[in-house]
Amino acid sequence: MHQQLTNLSDKELISRARKQDREAEGVLMDRYSHLLVAITLPYLDKAPKPDPNIVFPTLLQRLSASLKTQTIYKANEWILHIQKGYFNNPDKNIPFYPSRDGRDLLHIENKVEKAGTNIIDRQDLAVRLEQALQRMNADDRDLITQFYIDNKSFADLTAAMGITREKLRNQLKAAKGKLAKLYMNQGYV
Amino acid sequence: MFSSKPNNEKILKVFSGIRCLSKDQLPRYMEGRLTDIEKHLVEQHLADCDLCFDALQALEREAGNEQYQELTGKLQRYIHDSIQPVSHVHKVAQYTKKEKTKESLLVYFWLIAFLVIGIASVYVLRGHLRNQPPPPPRMLSAAQPPAKDSATSPSGEVTNQPIVTAEQPAPAPGHHTAATPATTTPATKPAAPATTAGQPATAIPVPVRPTAADSIAKAKAAALKAQQKKHAADSIRKALALQKQQDSLKKEKEKGNDSDNKKPEPQPEPKQEVKEPAPQPKKETPPAAEPVNSDEYLYKAAMVYQQQGNLGEAIDRYKRIAANSSGKYAEMATYQLAICYRSKGQMGKARRLFREVIRMDGSLKNNAQQALDSM
Repeated sequence: MHQQLTNLSDKELISRARKQDREAEGVLMDRYSHLLVAITLPYLDKAPKPDPNIVFPTLLQRLSASLKTQTIYKANEWILHIQKGYFNNPDKNIPFYPSRDGRDLLHIENKVEKAGTNIIDRQDLAVRLEQALQRMNADDRDLITQFYIDNKSFADLTAAMGITREKLRNQLKAAKGKLAKLYMNQGYV
Repeated sequence: MFSSKPNNEKILKVFSGIRCLSKDQLPRYMEGRLTDIEKHLVEQHLADCDLCFDALQALEREAGNEQYQELTGKLQRYIHDSIQPVSHVHKVAQYTKKEKTKESLLVYFWLIAFLVIGIASVYVLRGHLRNQPPPPPRMLSAAQPPAKDSATSPSGEVTNQPIVTAEQPAPAPGHHTAATPATTTPATKPAAPATTAGQPATAIPVPVRPTAADSIAKAKAAALKAQQKKHAADSIRKALALQKQQDSLKKEKEKGNDSDNKKPEPQPEPKQEVKEPAPQPKKETPPAAEPVNSDEYLYKAAMVYQQQGNLGEAIDRYKRIAANSSGKYAEMATYQLAICYRSKGQMGKARRLFREVIRMDGSLKNNAQQALDSM
């Protein structure tokens, strides 16, 4: 059972966890546990030095509680939100809600996923994305083309552009967001 | 124009969903131990995923990975420990809950079922006790028509006389003593006349019912009590005395003829009277079936004797009925007496008795006339 659950997608696990399937919930938590630990490490070294034996169970409890009540489109965003919320304001439980940009991205990702192996759909999507890409400014278009289509790594790009990896990533993320927005608003142009 | 390019589908990669970095991918990426394709995929994901990028940065900032490894292991063990047993416990709890509800429902069901069965059985028992010996429907239906017949006849009010109720006290002792010798003496010599008569006694079924217990007689008397209210006191006393003796006699007789008794209620006398026309005996059967009073018992006993071929015994009884009672049974007894004499070959006596029946002007007048004509 456990083996079968590990092969399931986040979406499926979340829907199962909502139906009181504790095992599915466990598999989902297990899948993200190392990332949770990694992002929590800096907080553990900070001033109040919280006890990891208290922090992690509490975090898991919060995650478990919100899993049953909240709409979760992306597990990674949800976990990060809960973790940040816990350390920034431990007393307040801020519900997770995806941003507008996030939903645009999610929409296009779902479309791409839905197109799957359907050549016609994929062609159509590709054409529309190309059109959106053409409307972007040159810098962003170049960045996206180099990174996604020319398969250049972070290291290559940072070396070429002379910027840090973090900055590069932020630029890439912003460019992607713009592309998504252009794609979504294509009908209005 | 772009669609004609071969790499146009590559642009879909921008929005392809990639899973977060797995537990072993993360350190391998940091150490640069990934293939180019894998690295590219990871970087694509890192561009999107804040969680993974934050984790990567945090791990790069931390000097040693030991704390990370240790905490990850602990957390995963904690998740396993907390989730698995809880889920198991949860399942067990659910199962036991289900079983408990099932059990309790079953208990309720059986409780209700037993209650219903108990109440029903009490009801049935009470009903059974109230009408304990249910009057056999055949007897009742057979008893109805002759009562009407006798009511239409001139001696109608006298026919109702010989009723014996269960509550009636024992009759006067004088009658007892008078009656006992009369009945006991014939009982001692039952077979003698039968042999002399030479009639085929074996073929004749016995009309007496197998259950001749006193309780049944009482119940029957009670059942017909409403019908017959007027009766003369002297005939009752006589009847009671006779009935008791007849009952005892009958029991003795029946012990020998159990197999014959099982036949329901075919009236035997018509078979015996081969010469007689068919309709005649059928008319006689209803009065014979009426089990009400002592006259009837006496009559029936006489019939039994007659059917067994014990004509002397039968004649004795018929004579007594004809002498003591009046109405229907007197007429019937006289008629049977005539038949007995006829079968004995004493035609003169038979003729005289048939004439007497005709003179009585009862329901058997026609039968008697026919018999007289055919002699």
